[in-house]
Amino acid sequence: MSNAPHILVVDDEPQIQRAIRTILTEKGFKVTVASSGNEGLTLAAVNEPDIVILDLGLPDMDGVEVCIRLREWTQCPIIILSVRDSEHDKVAALDKGADDYLTKPFGIEELLARVRVALRHSAGRQGAQSKMVRAGELTIDLVWHIVKRGDDEVKLTGTEYKLLAYLAGNHGRVLTHQSILSNVWDPADANHTEYLRVYMRQLRKKLELDPERPQYILTEPGIGYRFIADE
Amino acid sequence: MRNLSFIMRSAQYFFAFFVIAFVTAVLFVLREALDTTLVALLYLVPLGLVTAFLGFGPGIASALMTFLAFNYFFIKPYYTFAVHRPTDVVILVIFLIVAIVISQLVGRMQVSLAAATAREREATQLYELSAALAGLHDELVIAQILAKQVQAVSQGEAVEVSIVGGKPFEFNLPDASPPQRFPEWVVPIEAARGVLGTIRVWRTGPALTSSEKRLLQTFASQGAVALERARLAQAESRARVLEESDHLKSILLSSVSHELRTPLSTIKAAASSLRSNEINWDSPVRPELIAAIDDEADHLNILVGNLLDMSRIESGALKPKREWNILAEIVGSVLARMKHLTDGHRLEVDVSENLPLVPVDYVQMEQVFTNLLSNGVKYAPENTLIRVQAFVENDFVHVVVGNQGPQIPQEHLERIFDKFFRITAADRVTGTGLGLSICKGIVEAHDGRLWAENVSDGLAFNFTLPLIWDGMSPPKLPMDTETE
Repeated sequence: MSNAPHILVVDDEPQIQRAIRTILTEKGFKVTVASSGNEGLTLAAVNEPDIVILDLGLPDMDGVEVCIRLREWTQCPIIILSVRDSEHDKVAALDKGADDYLTKPFGIEELLARVRVALRHSAGRQGAQSKMVRAGELTIDLVWHIVKRGDDEVKLTGTEYKLLAYLAGNHGRVLTHQSILSNVWDPADANHTEYLRVYMRQLRKKLELDPERPQYILTEPGIGYRFIADE
Repeated sequence: MRNLSFIMRSAQYFFAFFVIAFVTAVLFVLREALDTTLVALLYLVPLGLVTAFLGFGPGIASALMTFLAFNYFFIKPYYTFAVHRPTDVVILVIFLIVAIVISQLVGRMQVSLAAATAREREATQLYELSAALAGLHDELVIAQILAKQVQAVSQGEAVEVSIVGGKPFEFNLPDASPPQRFPEWVVPIEAARGVLGTIRVWRTGPALTSSEKRLLQTFASQGAVALERARLAQAESRARVLEESDHLKSILLSSVSHELRTPLSTIKAAASSLRSNEINWDSPVRPELIAAIDDEADHLNILVGNLLDMSRIESGALKPKREWNILAEIVGSVLARMKHLTDGHRLEVDVSENLPLVPVDYVQMEQVFTNLLSNGVKYAPENTLIRVQAFVENDFVHVVVGNQGPQIPQEHLERIFDKFFRITAADRVTGTGLGLSICKGIVEAHDGRLWAENVSDGLAFNFTLPLIWDGMSPPKLPMDTETE
């Protein structure tokens, strides 16, 4: 059991604590629970968990603040939990270093999928970054800059490729508008969501079977985009 | 000021002097042809005129001057001031009496004329004030008008109207900061229920006269009446709003408890039967029950979300986070998500991706489409057509979401956007009765308009969204076309 990934859950609601603890323990994770921001920060420092699941509405401090404080010393993945209609808080937390989010109420598959992506990315940080991303019939070679749909190479413009490479390189994770704009374009363009909308549409037309119902590049309403690759 | 009136006074004396001198010169030329008595009579004409127009002082001066000139030039021996005959003394006395009597009469007339004019001005100003204040319900506007009128009457350098109670504030003329000293005059704005504020007047010139003070006092009481009326009206409308919201709350409670209880009953029934030993582990009912719990939990989540949205719209806290968006993408994602709901209907979507970008909140706009479409799915019979269309109309994009469901009586076309308004009985359809009012709230928060209309084959919801955002037209982007 000592090799089981360690997950720290910071949430003040006992029912949520109970549910997440039961499910994750059942799946073989080691789970620690904290009921406040300060307790969470302390336990994170003591236990050095592999993943932090953090509720944004904590009694003692703002969840975004906890994110900032954690990011001062650790790169461990942070998954935030929040209620619907707080896109603003979610985006703020994601831009301050959180890796992903889940909206309450959430299904167990979603939770486990986020945890898996988070674990893969924290492994990626320690070295083995994937050079080749596969998603359905798409193959994206991040080393040679080649994108194929089935056996046919897809012609992308420079910006389109940069956009796709950033999304695919972070597949599974939600990427905020701001982070995409400042990484693919320029930090000065971080407010020009219209660039994203238009390029994303072009990209989907070239990659997706049905651009209206995308399978690979998903829109996270009000937050950003997520690239779904094969596990 | 004082200098000016001194100059005016001196000018009057000079003028009187010139008139008498001129008349003397004319009479002197005609001296041989005129009788002395006639000359004395003729002198009365300028004397009377001078006194009538210039007042007491110049009148007396003219009388003395007239007597001297008459004595010197017209009474023999000429060119001396010697008075030989008692009649000459009588003439002098008559000149003086004429001057005094006329000046007194004229003076009295002028005083009463000035008083009448002043009274008329006061009456006009008072009338203007009460006309301006009539029907006003905004305390700030009342204070502004009061300050302007006080300023006009007092001709002071600054006026401040400060209102206490309710939301206290001050209004200053001519600019926001009053002078840093005690005002020359202060009058309370007093109503039956206590002091509502004060008027302060700063004026460095002559002190306020008693009639000015009286007028300003009247202004203050006019202001008090207007303020009190405004406050009573506010109190009344507050009471009405409270009553209405109380009523709505009781409707809300009954509607919400009904709506919440339905999915809760399903969840409770399913969960408890799964827990009991009544159902075998391998029974085919198990997955069905579990799916029911999952679905109904989602349903509950949507209900709670709707309630939150509604309260946010009502409190004015719904602020769209606008960005330039592609309408086709929003519609596409909504349709993809609602696929299992719209399966029973035929869809016809005409939202071109070449429409200009629209400045909207992505999430809120998704909700508008979701609610309008689910409304159509709910009321229109299976296998009928549901249409979504969008086109540009001037500086707006016009969206039509139509269905072939039942038409709505003309008198209800507006009311279907009211909270909890239903044409069909509440137990025949599900929903909170909030969907359409949320749509309206969102569209209006985007400065657009949402309305319903009966069309030949059913019902159509129309809404408009402005394309101009903060004075900016939709951006057109330069595309890079060169490939890697």
